[in-house]
Amino acid sequence: MASTVTATQSPDTAVSKQRRRSQLYQGWKRFKRHRLAVIGLVWVVIFVLAGIIGPWVAPYDYRTGDFLAINQGPTWKHIFGTDNVGHDMFSQILYSIRSALIIAIGATLVSFIIGIILGLWAGLRGGLADVIIMRAVDFMMTLPGFLFALILVIMLGRGYLSLILAIGIPGWAGYARLIRSLVLSMRDGEMVEAARALGASQAHIARRYMLPNVVGSMGVALAFGIPGDLIQIAGLSIFGMGLRPPIPSFGSMIAQASENILGFPWLLYFPAGIFAITLLSFLFVADGLQEAFSPKGGN
Amino acid sequence: MAIVKFISKRIIQIIITLILVISVSYIMMYYSPGGFMHTSTMATALAPLQGQNPVLYQEVMAQFQSRYGLDLPLWQQIAKYIWHELTFDFGNSMQNPSLQIAGQLKQTLPISVMLAFGAVLLSVIVGVPLGIIAALKRNTWVDYVVSTISLAGQAIPAFVLAVIMVLLFGVVFQGILPVTGWGNWKQAILPIICLSAANVGVVARYMRGSLIETLRSDYIRTAKAKGVKYWPMIMKHGVKNSLTAMITVIGPQFAFTVMGTIWVEQIFAIPALGQVMQMAFTSFDYPLAITSVFLLGSMIMIMNLMVDIIYAFIDPRVKL
Repeated sequence: MASTVTATQSPDTAVSKQRRRSQLYQGWKRFKRHRLAVIGLVWVVIFVLAGIIGPWVAPYDYRTGDFLAINQGPTWKHIFGTDNVGHDMFSQILYSIRSALIIAIGATLVSFIIGIILGLWAGLRGGLADVIIMRAVDFMMTLPGFLFALILVIMLGRGYLSLILAIGIPGWAGYARLIRSLVLSMRDGEMVEAARALGASQAHIARRYMLPNVVGSMGVALAFGIPGDLIQIAGLSIFGMGLRPPIPSFGSMIAQASENILGFPWLLYFPAGIFAITLLSFLFVADGLQEAFSPKGGN
Repeated sequence: MAIVKFISKRIIQIIITLILVISVSYIMMYYSPGGFMHTSTMATALAPLQGQNPVLYQEVMAQFQSRYGLDLPLWQQIAKYIWHELTFDFGNSMQNPSLQIAGQLKQTLPISVMLAFGAVLLSVIVGVPLGIIAALKRNTWVDYVVSTISLAGQAIPAFVLAVIMVLLFGVVFQGILPVTGWGNWKQAILPIICLSAANVGVVARYMRGSLIETLRSDYIRTAKAKGVKYWPMIMKHGVKNSLTAMITVIGPQFAFTVMGTIWVEQIFAIPALGQVMQMAFTSFDYPLAITSVFLLGSMIMIMNLMVDIIYAFIDPRVKL
């Protein structure tokens, strides 16, 4: 109690800074205890790096095929083999990582921003706005977002921005519900009430008590959101409604390889394997974050 | 009587949701580039006429529009369309005008329903025992293995599992199980396994958490003190109570499973709703697309309703 009062009087003292850092540090320490989560984090970092530097390290262009070497297994020249028009699979995968990450992160942000706006609106305003927004959330949650994504792709087209919007727009409901519940628990929570009773200012309460609690839950929600969107992108490509053909993507590689799986199974090993490991890693990281940062996470 | 009231209330809710779904998809497709008229076979067939005889072209198009009611104001079109959809009068496909949508769906929908039901059933049959084992062997390697496997099942989408299965049974263990097509029961095994993986994870994790919670409760201690034997105690007092709550977990899973079926059908080349949908969406066949979305949505909601009814029957504490 005493330290809270001190912090209230001078919020930017060394004490409060150290406290905040230690909160994050303790979360990291809890996260590190989960071996799978750490392994997942390493893979996610590698994956993101590959997406960023992909075009510079890819040995071949994604558009040009080597017609003298089609449908090859892994060789020194093409370490992941080549597909039916001689595309180097290693380069294809590097470019796929890039496109998948751009769309997944973009779409997650779009859902998140819409969710924040509507969730805050519902939580802070209450009344009719709350009722209408929560009805809309129920409506969106009953049906899979992929259905709406399909319809939006028809309307918007198949470019990067259209896919980001098509996957992002239907995904807002979960975030809106989370943020609304956070707002309500914050507004009426005992912790905030106690701080207010001690005479803390509104800004101080928001920064010192609300933000740390909210950041944890939101980080977990985002960590679960990105792999979900990765699945949707690949699902759209399998449906033939993903990025237009010259741009490689995991979904189209998997769909193509599964067509002549009996002849050239190695075309499947690397795309499907890397995609599966990536999704698994994201989920392990999200799971680890949940147990490290959410108050009820541990079991 | 309460149950009749509950069911009718839910059915009204379902109908309202479906009306919303149809309206939203109709409006979005109405404003999509190309629009209803310009992507149809009729428009393509008439394209040469546009240059030769613009007046005749206009006349034919106008007639065509009035025949399909496209000259009405948008809200009337939507109202009319909703009425037809809800009375199961789906009309004809736009790309193959001779093909009746109802006939096409009558062949494909039962396959999708069967796959989804089979997947949910299998996930309960496999997931519940896994969850029980994990709960009883809590914090041992058995628990970690089960938890990791169920997490993996949740993380890896059904279509990736499907290609792995095709690879395994098409290349490595050739000839044990068929990997493509539809016709006999053997061809349903692999798709159902792929579809159930995610649910197995959800069911097992939930069952584990719920059983651990139940085993800590007072009445279990009482049963132990009374001298009830280990397995009867676990099954009758523990598992039975955890099972009822688990039904509520299965409900929301239907949406994912049904979505999964349309992906898995692509990989296993099963002629079901997913194939129809893919054809409809990639060829801009608007009536077929909206109708398949409508049917998929109603399938999910009807399954959810059934889960709620079953739950109310099993758990006497739930009031309808």
